[in-house]
Amino acid sequence: MGLGGFGEIHAEPPGRAEGGPAGKAARAFETASQATPQRPEAGSSVAPRLTSLGAPCVRALGTTIAPRRRAVFRQTLLVRVAGLSFSYPDASAPSLSDVSLRIEVGEVVAVLGPSGSGKSTLLRALAGLVPHFHGGRFEGRVEIDGRDTRRTHPAELAGRVASLFQDPEDQVVFGRVANEVAFGLENVGTPPERIWPRVHAALSEAGIGHLVERRTETLSAGELQRVCLASVLALEPALLLLDEPTSQLDPAGAKTLLDLAVELESAVVVSEQRPAMPLERCDRVLFLESGRILLDAPREDALKWLAANRPGYLPAEAASLTEREADGEELCRLEDVTYAYLDEPVLRGVSLTIRRGEVVALTGPNGIGKTTLAKIAAGLLTPEHGTVERRGRAGYLSQDPGRYLVADRAEDEVALGVGGNLDLARGTLGAVGLSGFERRHPRDLSSGERERLALASVLATDPEILILDEPTRGVDPPRKAELAELIRREAPYRATLVVTHDLVFASEVADRGVVLSTREPAHV
Amino acid sequence: MSPVPAAALLASLAVLALAAERPWVVAAIAVGLLAACLQAPRTRRFVYLAGTLVSSLSVFVISPFVSTEGSHVLWEGPRVPVLGLLDVTSEELATGGTQALRFAAVGLAFAAYVLLLDLDRLLHAAGFARRSVLAVGLATRLVPTLERDAAGLVEALRGRGVEVNGVRGRARLLSPLVAGSLERSLNLAEAMEARGFGRPGRTQAPSPAWSRLDRVVLATAVLVVLGAIWA
Repeated sequence: MGLGGFGEIHAEPPGRAEGGPAGKAARAFETASQATPQRPEAGSSVAPRLTSLGAPCVRALGTTIAPRRRAVFRQTLLVRVAGLSFSYPDASAPSLSDVSLRIEVGEVVAVLGPSGSGKSTLLRALAGLVPHFHGGRFEGRVEIDGRDTRRTHPAELAGRVASLFQDPEDQVVFGRVANEVAFGLENVGTPPERIWPRVHAALSEAGIGHLVERRTETLSAGELQRVCLASVLALEPALLLLDEPTSQLDPAGAKTLLDLAVELESAVVVSEQRPAMPLERCDRVLFLESGRILLDAPREDALKWLAANRPGYLPAEAASLTEREADGEELCRLEDVTYAYLDEPVLRGVSLTIRRGEVVALTGPNGIGKTTLAKIAAGLLTPEHGTVERRGRAGYLSQDPGRYLVADRAEDEVALGVGGNLDLARGTLGAVGLSGFERRHPRDLSSGERERLALASVLATDPEILILDEPTRGVDPPRKAELAELIRREAPYRATLVVTHDLVFASEVADRGVVLSTREPAHV
Repeated sequence: MSPVPAAALLASLAVLALAAERPWVVAAIAVGLLAACLQAPRTRRFVYLAGTLVSSLSVFVISPFVSTEGSHVLWEGPRVPVLGLLDVTSEELATGGTQALRFAAVGLAFAAYVLLLDLDRLLHAAGFARRSVLAVGLATRLVPTLERDAAGLVEALRGRGVEVNGVRGRARLLSPLVAGSLERSLNLAEAMEARGFGRPGRTQAPSPAWSRLDRVVLATAVLVVLGAIWA
């Protein structure tokens, strides 16, 4: 497996160690005798970070980001929202309160705000799905192209308005890519002879023309999200609504997707928890908190406001990770590991060592095998060739927080892995910022809250080897900073592997970075 | 081959397997369908083939105990309330074997339909009752999705040190699996509505014309059904 240039990478050339791989690994584990750091008692001072990363490790770019190069929008009103307040059925508090805004044709608007601030609800209101699909209490007025959404069914807005949601797997209807893209065109009554040409054009535009005959279940999450993007591009909408569309994409894929979106003639409203890319491409920024618009300003003014009031949302660049010679005992060693799904090789001859006290960030493009490597390290997959040695138990956080929704209450969910110890479960929920959520049903949580619940479920088990697969998906910037701090605080007691597309988060949390960039053998 | 004649052929084979009286005919249909199913990828076909095998064996095992026919007793057991005297005759075994083969043939026809046919094209070809056909198509796709979700839940539990063992352990996953599919179906319904599903005036992308083979296969399917009914 080849390595790309992400910070300074700990690359161990093949043959550098003495003897064969297996013997080397065995010796390493036999002789490991590093003292195990003791966990501080509750209430004692926080253990010092072992990292040597300079502070600040993330540099806020502030107002220095380059402006987007898109043609200036035409000043024709497309969206008018006046005094919109909305509460979901049985909700104790409104999701949107007295929201008013206007969007011009061709304008690109970035919607920022913490988890649960009403970003997704606002996008759904613009699509007419709120209130038609969800029900609830709706006050005020939303007009798209002069049509009142209370009197216009979402299906009637389709075509003029197109939505791309966070999870592509929940949007796909058909088994074949071509049919999936054609679905929307058929629904809006596109003349039959124009459907297939538009399908092929949209797929080419999204850079996935070669996938036209593929079955959707065989695609990676990144490929599937591009298929969903092609489905909305094919409609040539006047208003494109993007609800965290890049949460599963690597940086290159995310950039491509957003570039494609903003190059359309459509007005684009994009909600994101990785704000850097939308902020580079938008004309205007909305900042929501508790269902209210705190900021509605052109980009330059918004950047100044963010710098003064919400610096965590400012675009930041990933710092280079300094290579730190880890001196803890080896807790996990993968040697010349090879793995294939059916006949499709994913990993070939990969070696990786993680030591107690270090946090390793594993990055790389979609579909390169990061999750496979993480699962092998966690003991959830057995490699076809090579050796895996672990000292201690491994805990694995799946990248799908929907897999941590087994129990009926959040505290019971966390307690599942710790023999029903509710005190420990509650304490861990508090550590991830979910105090007060103990008795909530896990399915009632937002996507960011679900992600933190999943993390708590794994952290509570106190594993020697902690493997986190995309732990920041759907998590807002302030929570990401807290998560990074939590991982750093816990790092001395275990070996930690973080699989992530979020390079800024990686540089905040990790001691060293590993990039899987090709399917060639690599020792890292 | 277009999916409509292929689906018609599979349906006609299932009808023939149910109607045929000679065991060798039923066995031949089952073997042919098994050979077809083996063309599917190993990981996808396993669930369907294993399900068909277990169900058919169950029919074979249970059938002799609930039927009373034949005079060549091979085993005689105790008298059980309601069921009466438990015994197994050679005739009951033969009947049970044939019923199991029938069950296997129908199961394999369904497996071939799911594994080998392009359900999208089948749906596309449905000029009428499109909503119902779409519902059937989505329901059919639910099986592999549930399978994947179940594997994901087990994996996530193992990732926090909880092993899922036995029927009781797996039964605990039933409720989250059902809740997960309901949530997924709501999300899908929302996405479909946002893409204009249900709007009047929909059109349909052109389908490729049927080949001579398609027509021959459809005619064969019709003849098979007529033959099964007539014979």
